[in-house]
Amino acid sequence: MNRDFLIVDGVTKRFGGLQALGGGGGLSFTVPRGTFLGLIGPNGAGKSTTFNIISGVLKPNTGAVYLDGQNLSETRTPEIAAHGLGRTFQTPRAFPSLSILENVIVGADSAGERLGAVLSGRWRRDEPKLKEKAVAALERVGLGNRTAESVASLSGGELRMLEVARQLVRDPKILLLDEPTAGVDPSLQGRLSDILVRLHENGTTLIVVEHNLHFLLRIADSIVVLQNGELLAQGSPQAIRSDERVVAAYLGNDHAA
Amino acid sequence: MNFEALLVAVLTFGCLFSVLTLSLNLQYARGGMINFGTVAYFAVGAYAYAIVTQEPPSGLDQYLIGLNGPWWLGFLVAGAGAAGFAILTGWPTLRLRGEYLALTTFAFAEVLHSFLLNERGIGNGSVGLANVERPGISWADVPDSYVFAAAALLLMLATIIVYRRILASPYGRAMDAVRDDEMAAEAVGKDVARMRFEVFVISAVPIGFAGALYAMITTLVSPDLFTAEVTFFVWIALVLGGERTMLGAVLGTIVLVTFQEVVRGIPFETVRSAQIAASVEHMLTGAIFVIILRWQIFERISIARSQPA
Repeated sequence: MNRDFLIVDGVTKRFGGLQALGGGGGLSFTVPRGTFLGLIGPNGAGKSTTFNIISGVLKPNTGAVYLDGQNLSETRTPEIAAHGLGRTFQTPRAFPSLSILENVIVGADSAGERLGAVLSGRWRRDEPKLKEKAVAALERVGLGNRTAESVASLSGGELRMLEVARQLVRDPKILLLDEPTAGVDPSLQGRLSDILVRLHENGTTLIVVEHNLHFLLRIADSIVVLQNGELLAQGSPQAIRSDERVVAAYLGNDHAA
Repeated sequence: MNFEALLVAVLTFGCLFSVLTLSLNLQYARGGMINFGTVAYFAVGAYAYAIVTQEPPSGLDQYLIGLNGPWWLGFLVAGAGAAGFAILTGWPTLRLRGEYLALTTFAFAEVLHSFLLNERGIGNGSVGLANVERPGISWADVPDSYVFAAAALLLMLATIIVYRRILASPYGRAMDAVRDDEMAAEAVGKDVARMRFEVFVISAVPIGFAGALYAMITTLVSPDLFTAEVTFFVWIALVLGGERTMLGAVLGTIVLVTFQEVVRGIPFETVRSAQIAASVEHMLTGAIFVIILRWQIFERISIARSQPA
């Protein structure tokens, strides 16, 4: 089935007097199922706002976002996550009172998060499975030997990878990553791109906001370019690379040749 | 001073108020909610017990309802009543953060106090309900005070076991995540509003039970017994013991209760000496607080106990 999985439909967002998104009639674009979409644009273009609206942290002033037919703009954040949408944050967020392993396990929806199951102790038999899955996710992001440590021992780049691992245990249908390579060293970046390519092959829809265009243009199969809260262009990486408006607005004139 | 009586009193009230401190510890240290209305749930439990067990009104009584029910029914209704009051007060307020929640819960407790004081149909207004029924349990020669001390100890242990079970489960892990970072917790599907509400309501139940037990022990419920002082008392106990462990909450409460009972037990010959002692008590209390908090005595003990490494 090839219908559009994620639909951003005429979304506008104001912060006080600032029109952050969709000044001219609202931002609209669609993302077919299984796409690896790169979301790029200069600072202030509205990438993170778009991201926060899709994941439900912000609600649009007008317009709506639909995931698989569900109107996300009328859905609470935890329910959006339960519908299979995962995200990371521009500033990595960890849970300092939990160990690295627990930081990842907590990503999974355990039966033991229901009070009834807690008091009857029914959650115990699921726990080893979750732990195994979390360890596997940590190994994939290169933190396999740090499971017992405190998150305070992680660098900024490692914290980003921890967030990715926390999402991996959820098996999201659509994963949104906000600047996943910022502060991540080259070897971990390679690992990250392997993970993303693998997820893409397995049919996960990916939306990645990124300033590192070399990273993104190599692995994404579709690019959306934002400028001043509006859609500037959408197309394949090759088309975007040669789109003159994009090159002028974002990549700079020296790339035009 | 009668040492045995002191010991029994410390055990009874130490365990009884520990239930409140433990609940506060769950709400605040793990759930991230500041509840400054603890006394309200305690009062609801006590009044619920009294109303269920007392005889129907007669003579000069101004209260309207007396069900003359058995003590265990009163006890159960006390827990349910406190949970009900938590639902009523938690529903509109738990979206509030930090100090705003503190102010609102404090206001709720004051409103309840005022209501009980002025609405005579509930519990005779300011007079209160005297002769609250005690359960007719008597084991041979064991005095009532021992039975109540044992009951308080049991209630405290049961509370600890239930809270432990919650905290050691994935639920406790998710609670920690929610307290650390709500936005990140919601991004992995944790329903922050639901969890906060559940913790708030669940932790009110033992407070209600403690209220019922308190009513049995004192055989009196009146608005005077349920002022904001009770809330501050358990908060101070929590601060003294350190908020990080359950053992700390219990130690802080027991020390505070011991101190109160010892001071209460000192006999004075003259009014003047009692006045001097009263002012010295304030200074002494302050000095003890400073010492305990400066070196975090109980927090160290309880953390050393919980992490044998």
